[in-house]
Amino acid sequence: MATIETTGLTRSYGDICALKPIDLSVPEGEWLSVMGHSGSGKSTLMNLVGGLDRPSAGSLKVGGEDLLALSEDGLARFRREYVGIIFQQHHLVPYLSSLENVMLAQYFHSVPDEAEARSALERVGLGHRLKNRPGELSGGEQQRVCIARAIINSPKLLLGDEPTGNLDSKSTVMVMELLRELRAEEKFTVIMVTHNEDVAAWGDRTIYLSDGVLVREERLGIS
Amino acid sequence: MLLKLLPHFLSWAGIVLVLLRAFPARRPVCAALGSAGFAAGVAAVCFLLRAFPGDLAFGIFRGMMGGSLLLLWFVSVVAVYRSTTRDFAAPRGGGVTDGPAFAGACSIAAGVLAGAVCACRVSGGGPGSLPFLLLVPAAAALAFALLPLEARLPGSLTLSRTALVAPVVALLLFSSSSLLRLDLFAPLSMKVMKFAHDFVHQFMESMLFPDHFFIRSYLWGYIGLLFGEGVGFWGALVIWFTPVALVLLALQLERLPSVAHIRQGARRRKLLATALGERRRRLVIPLLSLAVFGGAAYQSRYPSVEYWDPKPLAVAATPAGEIVIPKKGDVDLQDGRLHKYLYKQGAKEARFFVLMGPSGHFTVDLDACAICKPDGYGQAEGTVICYYCKTLIPLETVGRAGGCNPVPINFTEKEDGIHLDALALINEWGNTVQTTTKVKEGGK
Repeated sequence: MATIETTGLTRSYGDICALKPIDLSVPEGEWLSVMGHSGSGKSTLMNLVGGLDRPSAGSLKVGGEDLLALSEDGLARFRREYVGIIFQQHHLVPYLSSLENVMLAQYFHSVPDEAEARSALERVGLGHRLKNRPGELSGGEQQRVCIARAIINSPKLLLGDEPTGNLDSKSTVMVMELLRELRAEEKFTVIMVTHNEDVAAWGDRTIYLSDGVLVREERLGIS
Repeated sequence: MLLKLLPHFLSWAGIVLVLLRAFPARRPVCAALGSAGFAAGVAAVCFLLRAFPGDLAFGIFRGMMGGSLLLLWFVSVVAVYRSTTRDFAAPRGGGVTDGPAFAGACSIAAGVLAGAVCACRVSGGGPGSLPFLLLVPAAAALAFALLPLEARLPGSLTLSRTALVAPVVALLLFSSSSLLRLDLFAPLSMKVMKFAHDFVHQFMESMLFPDHFFIRSYLWGYIGLLFGEGVGFWGALVIWFTPVALVLLALQLERLPSVAHIRQGARRRKLLATALGERRRRLVIPLLSLAVFGGAAYQSRYPSVEYWDPKPLAVAATPAGEIVIPKKGDVDLQDGRLHKYLYKQGAKEARFFVLMGPSGHFTVDLDACAICKPDGYGQAEGTVICYYCKTLIPLETVGRAGGCNPVPINFTEKEDGIHLDALALINEWGNTVQTTTKVKEGGK
């Protein structure tokens, strides 16, 4: 069963067409890497699929839910309950500890549960960094906090927008291995936007975008 | 009259909305039986007012209002007990509250009281039956008109059976508090004040402090606070608001569904959050009823009724020591209103009033009672009211001694007017009023 189904999915900003009609199907549990140059429409596609933006035309179904038919509140609920997002820039709250950052995601989803947040951080290997604020963590550690935050609400879809873009190769491998382990346990679908061929290779399938058009598709993943 | 009925119909609309929300599966039944109850309430008032002229009919309905407050107290205490007792076993037939009979009984009971209050308001408008007859279709039309409106209210605004009584009683008391003779808060304040007064007095007696020999005067100043109006007011507020506060407490303490068996954390938290949200939303209507209770107390404390309270006219005694008040002079003593007079004898003075009651007989009374500070009396809606303790005294009983009734004075009715003894008047004022004044002002 496909988690994501798009038909003629398009996004325009005025005269600029960031994403030309795309037909895409992502089965449940797949790890899809999205590659392309800057301005090729990778982040636009991710934003649409994650319910962060609305398409200009076409149809978009995620987990059987027609995102075009959802109201703003419905879309917020969809993001809250269905999607986990990892950004390149982390977007952690600087004056909250790692634990509090994870609990904040729980708070917006339902209610905070400290024991569960603690356990999530232990799962990503940060059991000893619970009380540290983002500024006291390395880039790799911050990204692991982001992963804990993204998975704490058991999303069905995990979106990564260049999650390793700021990391050195050692940290990159560590983060990717962690994501692979978590996917094996939690069975979520992954869509990973990246510039990096090595990072893309962790996926089951890679699609290439150029000027908003899906130009190529490879099934080369090592996972 | 329509304007006077507005708060009562607003309360009726609120009651109907509450009933419809509490029994969503039986909405038309609630509207129909509520309207039938309303009609029964109106009919009961019509009958009682005709059968027992005077204060009895009002007394019965005031008693029923008091009963509804007691019911709220009972429900709130049971609710707190249920929510705080882990092994509380629901009594047999616990599902009764979900049945049609319960919904119907609640609708009828609320309708009867709401209809009675409306009819009591109309009863002051004149002897005809037409206003009474118009009330019933108006109330029924309103109830059925509210059916589609209630369906548009947010579905998340739920009302549990525990909380049902609070808004209904609040709205009934709000409705009745605008009628002097059905108001509960003012008599409640008075009772609390008298209870505090009697308790302190008895305590002093039992502690062998019959007089102030051992107690310095400044201490009496503090003890005097317990005799004040504030004690009655704040005590009544406690009695007034506590049951709703208990209902809120009971709702807040209601046990959440067990989610420990759910393995996935997010799902477990989601269920918990949903249950918490529902519990929070169930507090909204009781919180609103707290505000309605406040409105009822405010209406009672600051009634919109304008009392007839004429400025006392100075009178002098004849050389024979008699005060003569002509029946027809500057004022007409036979107009059914109280007329106040002030008599001064040297440094002493006494305030009194003359009133022709509904029976057509005159009564002369001090403008003070033997209990309260002599703030005097006003007249409205078939009663006189003691300004100090807000006790209503039906015109029929003015002239009888005791309680908060104005102290009656002996007089003679002659052709030329009312004759009373000036010295006896001054002495009566001195004996019955001055003493209490000292105590009320905290100065022995």
